[in-house]
Amino acid sequence: MKVNLRTTLLVLTLVISPFSLFADGGEGSVKRFTISGVVTDQVNGETLLGATIYVNELETGTATNLYGFYSITLFPGNYSLTFSYVGYQTLQKNIALNADITLNIELALREQVLEEVVIQGEMKKEELKMAETSVFRMDTRTIRQIPALMGEVDIIKAIQLLPGVQSAAEGTSGYSVRGGNPDQNLILLDEATVYNASHLMGFFSVFNNDAIKDVTLYKGDIPASCGGRLSSLLDIRMKEGNNKNFTGTGGIGTISSRLTLEGPISKDRISFMLSGRRTYADLFLKLSKNEDLRYNTLYFYDLNAKLNFRINDSNRLYLSAYKGKDIFKNDDFRMGWGNQTVTMRWNHLMSKKVFSNFSVIYSLFDYSLGMAEGEPTSFTWEAGLEDVTARADFGWYISPSYTLKFGLSGIFHNFQPGSVKGTGDETLVADYDLQHNLALESGIYLSIEQKAGDRFNMKYGLRLSVFNNIGSGTVYHFDSSYVMIDSTLYSAGQMYHTYWGLEPRIGISYALSGKSSLKASYARNMQYVNLASNSTAGTPLDIWFPCSPNVRPQIADQVDLGYFRHFRDHTIEASVEGFYKHVRNAIDFKDHAELLLNRQLEGELRFGTGHSYGIEFLVRKTEGDFSGWISYTWSRSFREIKEINDGREYVSPYDRPNNVSVVLNYDLKDRLIFGINWVYSTGSPVTFPTGGAWYQGVRIPVYSDRNSYRLPDYHRMDFSLTYRGQGKPDRKWHGELNLSLYNIYNRKNTWVINFEQEPDDPSQLYAEKTYLFGIVPALTYNFRF
Amino acid sequence: MERSRAFVFSLLLLIGILTGCTERMELELDETYARLVVDGEITSETRAHCVRLTTSSSFLGEEPDLPVRGASVRISDSHSIHVMKEDPDEPGHYYTDAQVKGIPGETYLLDIVLPEEINGTDHYTAACPMLPVAQLDSIGIVWKEQWEVWEIQCFALDPPTTDFYLFDILINDILVTDTINERFVIDDRFFNGNYTNGAGIGYLSPDEGENLQPGDKITVRTSRISKEYYDYFWEVVSETGYKNPLFGGPPANIKGNISNGGIGFFLACPVSETSAINEEGIAK
Repeated sequence: MKVNLRTTLLVLTLVISPFSLFADGGEGSVKRFTISGVVTDQVNGETLLGATIYVNELETGTATNLYGFYSITLFPGNYSLTFSYVGYQTLQKNIALNADITLNIELALREQVLEEVVIQGEMKKEELKMAETSVFRMDTRTIRQIPALMGEVDIIKAIQLLPGVQSAAEGTSGYSVRGGNPDQNLILLDEATVYNASHLMGFFSVFNNDAIKDVTLYKGDIPASCGGRLSSLLDIRMKEGNNKNFTGTGGIGTISSRLTLEGPISKDRISFMLSGRRTYADLFLKLSKNEDLRYNTLYFYDLNAKLNFRINDSNRLYLSAYKGKDIFKNDDFRMGWGNQTVTMRWNHLMSKKVFSNFSVIYSLFDYSLGMAEGEPTSFTWEAGLEDVTARADFGWYISPSYTLKFGLSGIFHNFQPGSVKGTGDETLVADYDLQHNLALESGIYLSIEQKAGDRFNMKYGLRLSVFNNIGSGTVYHFDSSYVMIDSTLYSAGQMYHTYWGLEPRIGISYALSGKSSLKASYARNMQYVNLASNSTAGTPLDIWFPCSPNVRPQIADQVDLGYFRHFRDHTIEASVEGFYKHVRNAIDFKDHAELLLNRQLEGELRFGTGHSYGIEFLVRKTEGDFSGWISYTWSRSFREIKEINDGREYVSPYDRPNNVSVVLNYDLKDRLIFGINWVYSTGSPVTFPTGGAWYQGVRIPVYSDRNSYRLPDYHRMDFSLTYRGQGKPDRKWHGELNLSLYNIYNRKNTWVINFEQEPDDPSQLYAEKTYLFGIVPALTYNFRF
Repeated sequence: MERSRAFVFSLLLLIGILTGCTERMELELDETYARLVVDGEITSETRAHCVRLTTSSSFLGEEPDLPVRGASVRISDSHSIHVMKEDPDEPGHYYTDAQVKGIPGETYLLDIVLPEEINGTDHYTAACPMLPVAQLDSIGIVWKEQWEVWEIQCFALDPPTTDFYLFDILINDILVTDTINERFVIDDRFFNGNYTNGAGIGYLSPDEGENLQPGDKITVRTSRISKEYYDYFWEVVSETGYKNPLFGGPPANIKGNISNGGIGFFLACPVSETSAINEEGIAK
């Protein structure tokens, strides 16, 4: 007890007086020097995110930031530094430190595994000590080995295999993190928000794995630099482009082909990456015997491009862009939807210790649909959401024990909830425009990462977020039964409503030994923009709406406690994490809500509380011929909203108590790679009728409690086999053939249950389930040169 | 709304392309207490108007919905009270006299007193305004090759107010929209105040035995309806149609206008009729 008290006091002292640290770097004390630089891949020059730099003499270290930059400030002396990164050969450098040094490091990919495991262990030890909970990093090589639906390697589908993450419905790219709604996940592609990550009704995600470098998922303990969503942050970084050689990667698959080209424009200084993917399922439709199908056009494409310019050691510019679109059309009808993002970034070293990044970001999600001209009802319908963001982020690497991160950001939102226009001469459809909503979402944050002694690591930060509604705009006023009684019109440019909040984010880790640690975190997240969708599977008809005088921001408080332990020289990582999350102002929709083209959408919203809790087990092996993970999650998620379910608490649509994921890869002599995964989860909650009445020829259902039944349990096994061609040193072309089998034991997982009338006795009904996929084989040829 | 249904259909087709199979399954459902079910309609036509009373039962229909006999049922407006009589041949069906006709502008009240309590009460009421008549100038009949349906088109001027319409179709004086999901209900959101120069207000599918021959008489019964019935209609359609996780929210009870938790709707319809003779040859 006494020890605990002392520990607590020590922690408190350190927390309260972080600014004492300025003293030891200041005037009067021994001058210290900084080693800084960028860690990159030796072969293609890509920066490595999260590579560790370990000072062997001091048994401490640091890690590269999101741009591969590191900085460490030490007293003069001789040091040996170890640079390491998962899957790369570890590099040791001996330094005589008597002045500031720029040390750019190139690491080589480790083809043969199992060497230098011991030194690698130092890096793992550092990871173990980091004061962040519920974070999962995945590189694209790992993702590539997971068997995929129709052979389309998919980041989002890989994410859904992690503990605490569930697919929102079979086959969809929507996912729920710890019981939250899919719209509570912030997805950033090179810092740009991706509002709809789905292609083809969600069966594929918009991220082309070939163009992606690194993926990190934060399940609640989101860094203070980001905000605006309650449940998670998925931070996706595109490749920068090989700055040494011109190379290409690509693949020819069952439903799509893709090609990525990258190379230097000016060696080691300017490089580019260009990547494209297009499906050709519609070409097969032409062969269909079904006339309804034959005349349909249906495809999607993605384009990723990135240019990066290293001006000098202190300045670097990045320009990256993404455009993706789905097209579906026939003679009568057409529909298209997609995302566009553009990110401009300037990395600038203000000093050897202070890294800064300035970004200007554009993001657009829009869709349009329409009926062919020449009809009285010909129309086009367009809707979307456009963001312009500016942000500045700073990292001040004060000493090995203190890192200060701070910055600010502003997002200007332009919501376009829908506009219908008649088209052609014969149309009767009058223009029907829903007003645009403008809003400014800004944030300012400060976060400190601190090491206290050998055992304690802390990260504590505060984010101030502010949300302003900007005119012109009409705000409708509703009475207590949500009937519109009045409205107020605000003029253009008028800032007519403001919300703000403080979002503390605190993490602490205590190393129990070199192999195990305890971590805890508390985070508050606020969400100011929401998705008007009450379907579980997600459609492209997304309407995002802002907070307003009628809609208060949702606020989530989450606590997390975890025990982490490494086995077998850190090659096996195991963890147990428990969490509890409480949401205020939780949004749900009234019964039979009308969400599309509704001027008074806010009248369809109902507000209450939500809470979820659970425990997540994970065992992961990242090294060796045999790798993968097994996870088990037990969790619950509830909501309570006065006007829904007669005010009684009900389970959220994403409450699936038991969840298992097994992801295994076996690399046989580097020529044959087997991948297998198995998922199991409790069936989704569903509402079934408990009574019925015949009324004008239909059976009217009578429901009791919402979500009181469950679909049958979901489980599925997938398998993949990759065969690599003989690698010859003089041959540039490398090919591999990948066979994947989705749902290998052909489980007919229930997607939805409907009730049909018996053909021979229409007064009787029977239950009929729809399942989407039986066994789905796919063959893909991948290559690189 | 019809167009958005066509759109939903297209999307379902899109999903169908990918795959999607159905299979019968065994399902045990709980059973709740019985509710009173009311299906009543009074129109501006002179005839015997009917109110049907039944009780709800288990959803899958193992037991039939029983008629409610011996109830005292009345329809009234500001001028008169019509006491309804149960038809001895059709238990649970209550009729007014054959000379009764609803008057647009009146609000009709339905009052039901049951011989014994259902769901804790023996007294149920409902009220529905009979709005002004909406009269079409004419109708058109056009074969739509791409959808393989006969489209019934309407020509009329929509007033500047927010309006909701119900259309029923008769072929040679026989009602073909005889189940609720075959009726056609729209709002004027996209053509408010305009001339509806041939907007589709009903579709007849030869695949479902609704084919037209030259010389067939088509009659459209048009009613202006309240938002309450408009919402009720679409709730019924969405709760009884094919459901999928992509569209529509979670299932929820349908809100009619019967008091005390009764199910169903009491509708007052200001009906106008417009007819035309089909001249087109048979397309199929």
